[in-house]
Amino acid sequence: MKYRQDIWVWGWLLAVVGVVDLCASPVDAGSFNLQRVVDAAKSGDTICVPAGTYPGPLLINQSVQLIAEPGTIIQGDGKGDVVQIHAPDVTLRGFTIRGTGKSLDRENAGITVLAPRVTIEDSVLEDVLFGIYLKKAHDSVIRNNRIGGKDLPVARRGDGIRLWYSPNSVVENNTVDNSRDVVIWFSNNTMIRNNTVTHGRYGLHFMYCDDTVLIGNHLEDNSVGAFLMYSRRLVLKDNRFIRNHGPSGYGVGLKEVDGVEAQNNLFAGNRIGLYFDNSPASIDMVQHFTRNVVAYNDIGLAFMPSIERNIFTENNLIENVEQVAVLGSGQLKNNKFTVDGRGNFWSDYNGFDLDSDGIGDISYKAQSLFENLMDREPKLRLFLFSPVQQAVELAAKAVPTFRPPVKITDQAPLMHPASVTLSSGNEPPAWPTTTASLVLLLSASGLLMCGITGTLARPSAAAGPIPMKPRPRNDQPEQATKPILSAGCITKRFGRLTAVKDFDLDLRPGEAVGLWGPNGAGKTTAMRCMLGLIRCKGTVTINGFDVRKRPKHAKRCVGYVPQELAFYDDWRAKELLGFFAKIKRVDRNRVTAVLAEVGLTEHAAKRVGELSGGMKQRLALAAALLADPPVLMLDELTANLDAAARDSFLGLLCKQRDAGKAILFTSHRLREVETLADRVLVMECGEVVTTCKPRKLAEALGLKSSLRLWIDKDQLDDAVEQLRTDGFETDRNGQTVNVKVRPDEKGKPLASLSSVKIDVRDFEIDSNDNGSPSRRTEQGGTQ
Amino acid sequence: MSPRTILIIARKELRDALRNRWFLFYTVAFSVLALAMAYLSLAGSGMQGLAGFGRTTAGLVNLVILLVPLMALSIAAPSLAGEQEQGTLAYLLAQPITRFEALLGKYLGLSASLTAALAIGFGICGLGIAANGDSAGVGVYITLVLMTFALGFAMLSVGIFISTLTRKAAPAIGMAIVVWLCLTLLSDLGLMGSALAFKLRIQDLFGLALVNPLQVFKMSVLHSMNASLDVLGPAGIYATQAYGRWLSVLFIGSILAWIIAPLVLASLTFSRKSIA
Repeated sequence: MKYRQDIWVWGWLLAVVGVVDLCASPVDAGSFNLQRVVDAAKSGDTICVPAGTYPGPLLINQSVQLIAEPGTIIQGDGKGDVVQIHAPDVTLRGFTIRGTGKSLDRENAGITVLAPRVTIEDSVLEDVLFGIYLKKAHDSVIRNNRIGGKDLPVARRGDGIRLWYSPNSVVENNTVDNSRDVVIWFSNNTMIRNNTVTHGRYGLHFMYCDDTVLIGNHLEDNSVGAFLMYSRRLVLKDNRFIRNHGPSGYGVGLKEVDGVEAQNNLFAGNRIGLYFDNSPASIDMVQHFTRNVVAYNDIGLAFMPSIERNIFTENNLIENVEQVAVLGSGQLKNNKFTVDGRGNFWSDYNGFDLDSDGIGDISYKAQSLFENLMDREPKLRLFLFSPVQQAVELAAKAVPTFRPPVKITDQAPLMHPASVTLSSGNEPPAWPTTTASLVLLLSASGLLMCGITGTLARPSAAAGPIPMKPRPRNDQPEQATKPILSAGCITKRFGRLTAVKDFDLDLRPGEAVGLWGPNGAGKTTAMRCMLGLIRCKGTVTINGFDVRKRPKHAKRCVGYVPQELAFYDDWRAKELLGFFAKIKRVDRNRVTAVLAEVGLTEHAAKRVGELSGGMKQRLALAAALLADPPVLMLDELTANLDAAARDSFLGLLCKQRDAGKAILFTSHRLREVETLADRVLVMECGEVVTTCKPRKLAEALGLKSSLRLWIDKDQLDDAVEQLRTDGFETDRNGQTVNVKVRPDEKGKPLASLSSVKIDVRDFEIDSNDNGSPSRRTEQGGTQ
Repeated sequence: MSPRTILIIARKELRDALRNRWFLFYTVAFSVLALAMAYLSLAGSGMQGLAGFGRTTAGLVNLVILLVPLMALSIAAPSLAGEQEQGTLAYLLAQPITRFEALLGKYLGLSASLTAALAIGFGICGLGIAANGDSAGVGVYITLVLMTFALGFAMLSVGIFISTLTRKAAPAIGMAIVVWLCLTLLSDLGLMGSALAFKLRIQDLFGLALVNPLQVFKMSVLHSMNASLDVLGPAGIYATQAYGRWLSVLFIGSILAWIIAPLVLASLTFSRKSIA
């Protein structure tokens, strides 16, 4: 057994020594022991490692170049480091290195370098706690590597790249994702170039790194972009610090650094673009910030109050929520924002440029009461973007005593952004916004069309008419018929006023009932209670449906014509009926039919507002008749009609009654009641005081009409005497005689005068006196 | 309850709104202001590699907070009260519909009209941003639009509730303006003063802010922009850390509560109301 092992080792040694460069001939990975090869190699050798997976850890104690073929993996055992380099001048190229331990105390790393002048390039480090760790490895190069941390909470991850006492090194073109920090400590004169660090804690964390240069790095979506501390003469150029938004959230934080020269950098979308804490620290040092873009940060530039000797020129400060903040109490001084007549571009600058030299003619002043309040009391930031922010600013402008001190002044603000060449970023395309906007506009058009053409609710099957029996020929409704409308003990109070009290009604099919009474008697209130519009005590059933419990079914049996015809005036008559037809689930053909029925066909296209009172009344009746309901309720049914229209309207209603409809109406015209009603409920102060036949109404209530007679002057006295003799209530009024008569005896005074040869030249029945309840009241009637 | 009847009323309300000059005025005003806001925000950022929507969104948030509640409250508050004043409500309710159907139909119709007005405004604004060559974060844009709709619906709900409390349009509009002032300014001023005077704890401050739907709207949009509320200082950081992913749920729940609760109250009030 021992013999066979010896042959194996010696075979490889011969191969290494004899061939010198293993890359020259293909080697089978299965038989390649990487550790032994490395151990056996001499300083200066180049070892080409065939593709395959090799177990870690790998210790490199020789100054060799290890060049991996694509697909070469060094797989750690999940404990400790994967590769350790103890020899100087080692090159490691093209490996995939995986599987470190998870010990933060022992700093388990993919590659730990403990010797100078090492080059690590073109490698991929995956599932590693620390990535590449240079300990006292000066003059080393870390280049073109891709480093991905372990899937751990950020505090338990290691650093993607760490330089520890490794000056004069170069870190370039590396990509680090999901690690904790990239740490550069105690490493002067380091070049950090074109690296991308994302989703970590500190994109870059510096300490004691004088003369370091940062160029073209992208530090995005970390907690902090770069925190530079205790270093001197730093150069920052063409870097992008974007969306670093952790609790500190600095794009770049400067703490006790000296001599920073920052140029052409982009600080965008961070919590704080640039943060200054005691920088520069030395009294003899000055820092320059030139042609940088500081945009869309919560705070653009944040200073501790004691900060001095920073010079800002031709920077673009664009749309930061707070352009400049002074954190704590105190006043900034000895910082310059204008050099040689050129300041910076401030997107919130409100000045002007009369001489068109590109420089604002008045200074830019960062001065805001709300910002000052926020700087002193950070929890007030909660009210950012609220109208209260503007209100506070307005108060500060209006009242000088509220005005806060100026934070900084730029004497020569630029009118236009300074031209800055930024390294390109991954800007998302604009088409999704365009598409979303077009979708919004199309949706709006759709809604508008719905409103105009009415496609929101499609017509559904029309509800069938409710069957009615025609009124019997004896001109009286059948008392045996079940009431279609029953009201029991309706009582309604408005505060102390009892508007309706114990109102009872049974209304049968083919029956017309009039509610008679003066204004305020409670007729309309009773009717609205029966429609369920007013909450009241008592019960109302229509066609067997309780108005309160099954309002839709109950109201479907009712056509209602209100006293005040309140329609949508800008609708056309036909549209209005179409709308109610839909609500009542009636076929649209009914619209044409009812318009014809009420004689409005010619006016169907007119707007409701253009119709006369009479036409509106007929339109209301048309709407009430749409569903051919068994009950009609009309409140002051001819209130808006002239005499001719009144007759026509009453005729229409009589037809409906004869067709079997039950009609409940309010009126104070005796003739209407006599024409239409089968019985009358007389109401006073909310109560039904009597029920009678219409023909007996006048008699029952002692109603009288007023007759005015024109008689020749010489017969006037005789006429008065004759009428009084015949028992008429008579008085003389100038050249006329007024006679009070029962409404059904208006001809008797004329006959009486004729019998004594007194000529009546003319007569007039007072048009306002049809035996109205109000008139009766004036005469000391029953109210 | 019949959905069909509700849709008929909704359509009638939408149609009435489209014929209303206020609808036109609000649509034009919102579109012009949103476009102007976007233009001004983008004017300074005409350079490569900058997505300029953050500040635009912030500006639009401010505009929405001021204008949308005013739009919604002022069209919803007089809706029922105005019809009652004119007498058309009594006539409508004498038809075979329930009060809840009338209320919900009106609410949906007003919502549709407000949505149309806002969609036009945002659509024009979005096209303006895109035409300017800026790549607005479309996710943020859509969140802003949807949350604006939600805020509008919440304010309509409050407006409808106000409308059920009065019998005339003028007092309803008066109440709506008072509510608008309270929500936009007075409550925040009070909260700011309390935060300073009583040294309110951060969690209490955040909790109280959640009561105001306008603050909820603002925070939800800012949250969608930054995936955190750090921009709002300690209270925002507290909210992000305390609620994490549930923050979005909290915001949506709060806005939904503001949509549903006033509508339920309105329904209860309206069902007991006498329509004289």
